[in-house]
Amino acid sequence: MSTIEQIAARLDGAATSRTPTAQFSADTGLDVPTAYQVQHAVVAHRTARGERLVGLKLGLTSRAKMTQMGVDEVILGRLTDAMHIPDSGTIRLDDHIHPKVEPEVAFLVEGGAIAAVAPAMEIIDSRYVDFRFTLPEVVADNTSASGFVLGAWQPVPDGIDNLGVLLEFDGQTIQTGSTAAILGDPRRALPEVARLAGSELTDGSVLLAGAATAAVPLRAATHVRVTVDRLGTASLRVAP
Amino acid sequence: MTEVARAADVLRSAYESRVPIAPLRGDLLPVGDVDAAYAVQRAQVDDWVAAGRRRIGAKIGLTSAAVQQAFGVYQPDFGVLFADMAVPDGDEVDLGALLQPRVEAEVAFVLGADLPFERVTAADVIRATDHLLPAIEVVDSRIADWDISIVDTVADNASSGLFVLGNQPRRLSDVDLRLAGMVLEHAGEPVSVGAGAACLGNPVHAVAWLAGTLAAAGAPLSAGDVVLSGALGPMVPVTAGGGYEARICGLGSVRVRFGGKEQA
Repeated sequence: MSTIEQIAARLDGAATSRTPTAQFSADTGLDVPTAYQVQHAVVAHRTARGERLVGLKLGLTSRAKMTQMGVDEVILGRLTDAMHIPDSGTIRLDDHIHPKVEPEVAFLVEGGAIAAVAPAMEIIDSRYVDFRFTLPEVVADNTSASGFVLGAWQPVPDGIDNLGVLLEFDGQTIQTGSTAAILGDPRRALPEVARLAGSELTDGSVLLAGAATAAVPLRAATHVRVTVDRLGTASLRVAP
Repeated sequence: MTEVARAADVLRSAYESRVPIAPLRGDLLPVGDVDAAYAVQRAQVDDWVAAGRRRIGAKIGLTSAAVQQAFGVYQPDFGVLFADMAVPDGDEVDLGALLQPRVEAEVAFVLGADLPFERVTAADVIRATDHLLPAIEVVDSRIADWDISIVDTVADNASSGLFVLGNQPRRLSDVDLRLAGMVLEHAGEPVSVGAGAACLGNPVHAVAWLAGTLAAAGAPLSAGDVVLSGALGPMVPVTAGGGYEARICGLGSVRVRFGGKEQA
């Protein structure tokens, strides 16, 4: 269907040119199932450039965000190897449109089960002007996925359903939260993803379970750190 | 009648009639005059003590960076707790006894030693703390629509209402309060989440501030006092039906229900 490919090309162009695009679903009457087809086409643009799928992410995993979007359902996005930023690595604002960071928990999937957990952060960077979008539009935009940082993988400790989470900029705490904000317990991310895209949960897949706090815009020349109780830290430097 | 006595009188009428009053600032009290506001609070506390209420500790408010910014202040505030404000864990609270209640989850410190110093360190607080309890504070405002400034809330006993303490004491040495997760659920749905760091970086810091402030005012914290150290996440308006449960990682849980009068 040409409309799907046209929307995908527009979103991919926005990402590669770092120029946000206007919302469009009012014109196209895009629904969520079609939006996932657009997402597939958007991701196909990335894989055509040589990027490799490495995992999945969930969005709208907090009660607050579901209420804000007026929905009762999580959304799913795809992660590629090009989105992976090494722990304590550096990114440049110029490589993005208007990136935001959110503290997360990541799982490593083996044999359809959770094999390890890591503190993580996700960089989201909506391809729409001012981060304004409808539910189908954000699904089409691969749920704003742009980058992710993983701290150290480790065995899953008992009880990760209410771990304190801090997001710091240059050592100053700017968000505090709990893993309880992620579906009540981040481990619920696995059955959610299995239901939505079970065949993609191959061995070694990374699963970003969802945000523990609201997203915060990144700013230049800043050291960004996420700390999750018992799991440790993941960090990122934003270049001057 | 002085302005302090007049303001205390108006607040007393709100408690008695259960009808919220207009803000005090700019009318009964000068905008930004926090000292006058504490004098109003003291006048009410003196009356309450004279009437036989048992003073059991204090609560700390304005402990989050976001709330301080919203209020344009750079320090917390406090109110006085009385034994009759305590609700047993899991009990139902009659909404008719409150004006416009909200709930928030906190760490309660129960002291085992006096803290009579005007300059108080984290080590002093740690040494003086006998145990911790998870707590739900039911805050309430006598000011209509919670239209409060720092002056209004301080004069109004820091918007105190009721409080619920858990019953399983924990040692401070067993918990990293800074990274302790908190979730407050209503009818099984999370309505507020946070962590210990939301309270002045660490609830221990809030208690240190309170101890120093009270010692300087000549009414130091002493052994046995209960201190509600400040919210770990956003406060939320109360709805009747369905219970509220707060869980603080490492401290266990505490719950309360609300019944009777429907919240307008």
